[in-house]
Amino acid sequence: AEVEETLKRIQAHKGVVGTIVINAEGIPIRTTLDNSTTVQYAGLLHQLTMKAKSTVRDIDPQNDLTFLRIRSKKHEIMVAPDKEYLLIVIQNPCE
Amino acid sequence: FHGNPRSGQWELVGPRPPLAAMFADGTAPGAAVESLWRSARSARCEAKSCQTGTISTAEAAVQSQTSRDASVQTDQSKDAVQDFQQEVQVDYSSLLSFLQRVEDAVIRELNKNWRSRAFDGFEVNWTDQNETVLCLHTLSYPEAQDQNLQVTSVSWNATGSVVACSYGRLDAGNWSTAKSYVCTWNLDRRGLNPQRPDLVVDVPSSVMSLAFHPSQPSLIAGGLFSGELVVWDTSRTEDPVIWRTGMTDDTHTDPVYQVNWLPDAKHRNLCRLLSVSTDGKILVWREERDGRLALAEGFAMVAQQIPRSAQLRKFAWGEAAVGVTSLSFSHFDPRVFVVGVEGGYSLKCSTAAETLALPRTGSSVPLRAPADFAFSPHGGPVYSVSCSPFHRQVLNLFLSCGTDGQVHLHSMLQPHPLLSLQLSKKYLFCVRWSPVRPLVFAAASGEGNCNNCFCFSGEVHLFDFGKSSQKPALSIQQAADESPVYCLEFNARQTRLLAAGDATGTVRVWQLSSDFTEQGPREMNHLEQLASEITD
Repeated sequence: AEVEETLKRIQAHKGVVGTIVINAEGIPIRTTLDNSTTVQYAGLLHQLTMKAKSTVRDIDPQNDLTFLRIRSKKHEIMVAPDKEYLLIVIQNPCE
Repeated sequence: FHGNPRSGQWELVGPRPPLAAMFADGTAPGAAVESLWRSARSARCEAKSCQTGTISTAEAAVQSQTSRDASVQTDQSKDAVQDFQQEVQVDYSSLLSFLQRVEDAVIRELNKNWRSRAFDGFEVNWTDQNETVLCLHTLSYPEAQDQNLQVTSVSWNATGSVVACSYGRLDAGNWSTAKSYVCTWNLDRRGLNPQRPDLVVDVPSSVMSLAFHPSQPSLIAGGLFSGELVVWDTSRTEDPVIWRTGMTDDTHTDPVYQVNWLPDAKHRNLCRLLSVSTDGKILVWREERDGRLALAEGFAMVAQQIPRSAQLRKFAWGEAAVGVTSLSFSHFDPRVFVVGVEGGYSLKCSTAAETLALPRTGSSVPLRAPADFAFSPHGGPVYSVSCSPFHRQVLNLFLSCGTDGQVHLHSMLQPHPLLSLQLSKKYLFCVRWSPVRPLVFAAASGEGNCNNCFCFSGEVHLFDFGKSSQKPALSIQQAADESPVYCLEFNARQTRLLAAGDATGTVRVWQLSSDFTEQGPREMNHLEQLASEITD
């Protein structure tokens, strides 16, 4: 219930195209997009987040990844990582 | 001369003494040297010989007595719907705490992003920018060119590597018994010979339109001058014809100007064929087992049944000729399609129409009247319509072009065009939207009556609304001798390629420059803005 509320708040933000929550194994738990797109985003971003996290840790072992943003021609993808889950938000910043 | 210096000039070296005192004749004995090499050689040489041992050989032969054929074909995958949400155990309390932790950060970032101007105008080019438009290939079939046949239609196959063209004559007159050809070239094959097609099919009647199957790369459908439809399978070597309509009561009585493959709503792997002809009928065919195409459903355009819109009352409807010359399906609603007719009108139609067409004899399936909306006409027959593949709910755009040299940009919601561009004084035979850039389309122009001016015919015009709404961004001259360009198609897979066929019987494959093939960041918004600017 509260989980849905929170996700709805994020999804209702200006320009947000989709929201996905995946668990530590990369399996999508909640999504607002269709199945095939969700599976694609989940798999690819999970791997990329792991790579980004290991990059940060390799440069400085005391440091850790807090947020990942990928800007492309059409969208901006924002990933908030955690030990158990990953929140992916896709926003179209160009109105 | 004895003793004169060899300098070629007469030099005086003092007073000349009398000749007899200085010089005297004489002969010297020659010197001879004995040759040593022969004797030395024979002193040291010995004769030797050798012989290779005999090589044993044997003959054997092998013949396969029995053979079996086996083939493998992947099936089209059925969609596997995974319901993942029920399989995974979710601990809601930890999920909630996670979301509460990250929510603020995410919302902050979203807000910052929305207001940020950091990336305005920042564009990255990953690929090499190709500045010019090149002609990659000039394909032709000399036998067809010798018979003065023109290219009537081109089509790319499902994989984007094979281009097919049909030879015929567009100005054939009343009845033509000329043979025609369908030729295919595989552009990705090494050793491509532009003068020799990979496959040539002889057709007894002139082929007016071609369409490759959207998912099976070897099937082509063609519409003939005689009103028949034929489907060829290019992978068969003996007889490529696999289905034909034959001349029955159902077939068209006029040339088939356009043929399309329709995905079948019920059976996802099968397709049906749709044919459009100037006898006013739009027919849908399905495949029967004995190689015949049977009529599944059909539509007929009758002048009295065209919907009259109040705003177009001043146009005379009674004489409107309703031979259908072109058709295009909308990309957002598969039941809606737009047709262009000889009378110059474009009409919006629906496959779900229920009203029957005015009685026509000799059709096994009752024909329905599909038109439900009429758009304002061109000054001459419409030769081509094309619906934009970039769709949004409010933006159902299509283009139509005809013999008045104008291209009309219509929204399906209103009868008058959003934009009316006079591209040239000549007939426009074909117009197509680009499959990758929402603002770009191409039009093929050709012959026409230019009274006094010596104009170059036969051009492919590329239009970019992002650059100019008034004139073409680029006009490519197709043939050296001003012959008209009759057909063009974009390659949906290799998005840089555009094939255009002209009246000299050549197909040119053009490679477009990057600014025609790379989508800019805000093109969809630009398109919507353009459409709404004009409607206001």
